[in-house]
Amino acid sequence: MFGKLAGAAFVLVVLMLTLGEFMVRADEFTEEDLKRWQDEYMSVVNKGRALWVSPDLGTNGVACAQCHPNAANTHPETYPKFQKQLGRVIALRDMINWCIQNPLEGKTLGLDDPRMIAIEAYIAHERKGVEMAPGKH
Amino acid sequence: MSTLLSRLLLIVAFLCVTDTYASPALGSSVPLGLPPAAEPEDNPQTPEKVALGKKLFDDKRFSLTGEVSCATCHVEEKAFTDSPLSVSEGINKLTGTRNAPTVINAVYFKTMFWDGRSPSLEDQALHPPTNPVEMGLKDHQPILDIVRSDPEYVKSFKEVFGKSGEAVTMDEVTKAIAAFERTIVAANSPFDRFFYGGENDALTPDQKRGFNLFVNKGRCVSCHVIEQTQALFTDNRFHNIGVGINDIQADVPGLAHEFLKAEATASQVDVQVLTNKKTSELGRFAVTRGFDDLGSFKTPTLRNVAVTAPYMHDGSLKTLDDVMQHYNNGGVTHEGDPVNDFLSGGIRPLGLTDKEIDDLVAFMEALTSPEFAHLAKNKAARK
Amino acid sequence: MNKSRMSRRDFLKSAGALAAVSCLPVSMVELAFADSRKNFSFAHISDSHIQHISGTKFVRNWDRGLIRAVAETNLLVPKPDFVVFGGDLAQLGKKEELDHGAEMLSKLDYNKVYCVMGEHDYYLDLGDYWSKLYGPHYYSWDHKGVHFVTLNSVITYDKWTYERWPTAMQRMVEMAGLDNPNGSPFMVGEKQRDWLRKDLEKVKKDTPIVVFSHSPIQKIYKGWNFWTEDADEVQALLKPFNDVNVIYGHVHQVQYNQIGNISFQSVMATAWPWPYPETYAQAESHLPKLTVPMNRADPFFERDATGWQVINVETGRAAIKYNLYNNTNRTVAFNPKTGHPEDIAFQNPARRIPPQTHY
Repeated sequence: MFGKLAGAAFVLVVLMLTLGEFMVRADEFTEEDLKRWQDEYMSVVNKGRALWVSPDLGTNGVACAQCHPNAANTHPETYPKFQKQLGRVIALRDMINWCIQNPLEGKTLGLDDPRMIAIEAYIAHERKGVEMAPGKH
Repeated sequence: MSTLLSRLLLIVAFLCVTDTYASPALGSSVPLGLPPAAEPEDNPQTPEKVALGKKLFDDKRFSLTGEVSCATCHVEEKAFTDSPLSVSEGINKLTGTRNAPTVINAVYFKTMFWDGRSPSLEDQALHPPTNPVEMGLKDHQPILDIVRSDPEYVKSFKEVFGKSGEAVTMDEVTKAIAAFERTIVAANSPFDRFFYGGENDALTPDQKRGFNLFVNKGRCVSCHVIEQTQALFTDNRFHNIGVGINDIQADVPGLAHEFLKAEATASQVDVQVLTNKKTSELGRFAVTRGFDDLGSFKTPTLRNVAVTAPYMHDGSLKTLDDVMQHYNNGGVTHEGDPVNDFLSGGIRPLGLTDKEIDDLVAFMEALTSPEFAHLAKNKAARK
Repeated sequence: MNKSRMSRRDFLKSAGALAAVSCLPVSMVELAFADSRKNFSFAHISDSHIQHISGTKFVRNWDRGLIRAVAETNLLVPKPDFVVFGGDLAQLGKKEELDHGAEMLSKLDYNKVYCVMGEHDYYLDLGDYWSKLYGPHYYSWDHKGVHFVTLNSVITYDKWTYERWPTAMQRMVEMAGLDNPNGSPFMVGEKQRDWLRKDLEKVKKDTPIVVFSHSPIQKIYKGWNFWTEDADEVQALLKPFNDVNVIYGHVHQVQYNQIGNISFQSVMATAWPWPYPETYAQAESHLPKLTVPMNRADPFFERDATGWQVINVETGRAAIKYNLYNNTNRTVAFNPKTGHPEDIAFQNPARRIPPQTHY
């Protein structure tokens, strides 16, 4: 029995050594991978930008960009925070939904809606480099 | 030790003599859902002062006809209002222009009256006695005469303030009244138990939906504030929501000009707004003469709203359903009426369905404190 | 080098004049300035951005802003001499928008309303319908010893205007996006600069001048067209005069500056506020250091950080009172001691308040 185990282990080691390059290894990625994934990310950021300037996110033709050019004045780095006008701590996407519902007079997006993710991605992208400051009013 | 005992006895006596509110003044816990109430440094609460204040609050002799006291319009058994009156009745049943707000939780306001013309509870007590349609006195002298000579008052003022004779002024009188009013706090409603007390069953499903609407689609929470650890249901600000002013839109320019041209003292404003309906509709503008206060009134608290009908500064909306229709219409009582030019930026048509309105009303009924719940059984506020 | 003759007393008077406009009876105001030859003020409303949705529906929020500004302007005591509208009456230059806006402006109880062209009025039909409502795109007039000039400072390069876009609406939409990288910088242009030079030839050097413009006649932030490409050339034309004031719209926020003898002051929008350029983390901008920013906008109150203005030119320099809904009003007036516009309450850094911090 012991012999069989040792034999199986031996075969396994040989297999790993020979086929190793074809097996998945965690934590390894190349420059190419990074670039590809960054492009994937930017594709969603760009979708977010398209939504940002779109008159169709709400029902009255108002676009986010009208009040927030380049997503300025959205302060994503301060969320979650106590939003005084709502009386509770909220996340960025709650505020996005508030804007869609109120100034844009539209229907809120589901919190897992791909459009919500895209909008958040665009907002964060335009705020790159700014220090995190959750809770800041 | 005996001092402590006597103090304890006093507290017990006080509790027996006065009705028990959710929170008597001294050192007891704040009701669930409210923060501790501010106590001014120059007017500390003591049980004797509170008892004196209540006596003054109830005293009808402080009026021209001897028939009107604070308690005439702020009736304890009616949640400190004179529901169902739209506007209050003073001496000789004279009517003013404004609905009597409840005293409950008034301590949490930063200004008093619907237009905030008074900066404190102490100051507020000065005005109704000398208003011609309220208590009708020419000045405060009759009050001072009584408190300086009536033996029981003489004794109380000596005990509470260490003063007698001419040293007893309106300052002491209003401090005592304010101290009494500071004990009129109430919360611990079904909403409080649900939101702050973790009692998931304290609200019905309708009320839970109403709560959701209150903080989201209905936008109510922007002015009727609910926070993570307590809820005052007021932002202590002034807004024009289109009640009353809609009826005088054509008159606004003329009235505004009059106010802009004339300097008026605080007492003059007090008299003008209660005796002239059109002037009353100018709201806080009559006090500050600032354009953005045109037609603005203070956000009242919604605590116990279900038992303090009718609603708005002029008592013109009889039920909570009427109130909801006004908001749903975007600041006009009858749908399709023209909106006034000075409407607050936060008011716009809400697009609520009938069911959603019902849920919001149900939620507001959950804001009644247990000590006033018996008044809700009249369903006076409902349609 | 500031050649103004204004004294400290004049400064206090001009700032005080504005406080007087809404509070004092008419007779008291007249008495205070009986010895001044330029005893008048005017109202300035700007950037209403009336936006058409469909049929007879317009964006309610922007409508309310203009309605309120007009209603309040009509209440002013004493009554200013005239009203200026600073541009961007419409959002996409459509006839419906210009008509709806004009209808609201027609409620102004004043003899004269002078209108300035904004890019949102201009780029659909190059100001054709606008002219039918409001006349020439640039012009001048004199009033009580002050020379007023209105410029159309939102034109841009001919190629962008005439050749770049397949349709007029496309051109309008591209210019309408403040942060649109496809946009093009504003300018006054050679034709108007020639006209301005000739116009100013007849003006004495000590006559106060007020220039109404939509773009800032400065170079503040190109990314959002807070920019006038030929600002230097225009400023050079204004340089020889002692007291020059440029009052501009477009930026939807409080800004003010001093370049040589020219004071620059922006006006608020009635529609919505814009962020300050320095809040955009990815680009550099040059907001004038003098400016004490307006309070941060509270989006939950639709009229917050919007407003309109009363402007007094009594001393040859503009003093602007910003009427800000539900906010402390601001007054920015020229201070002869320092030689530039200042906020009479908040200019001192020690007097700043937290809401003025933008990030």
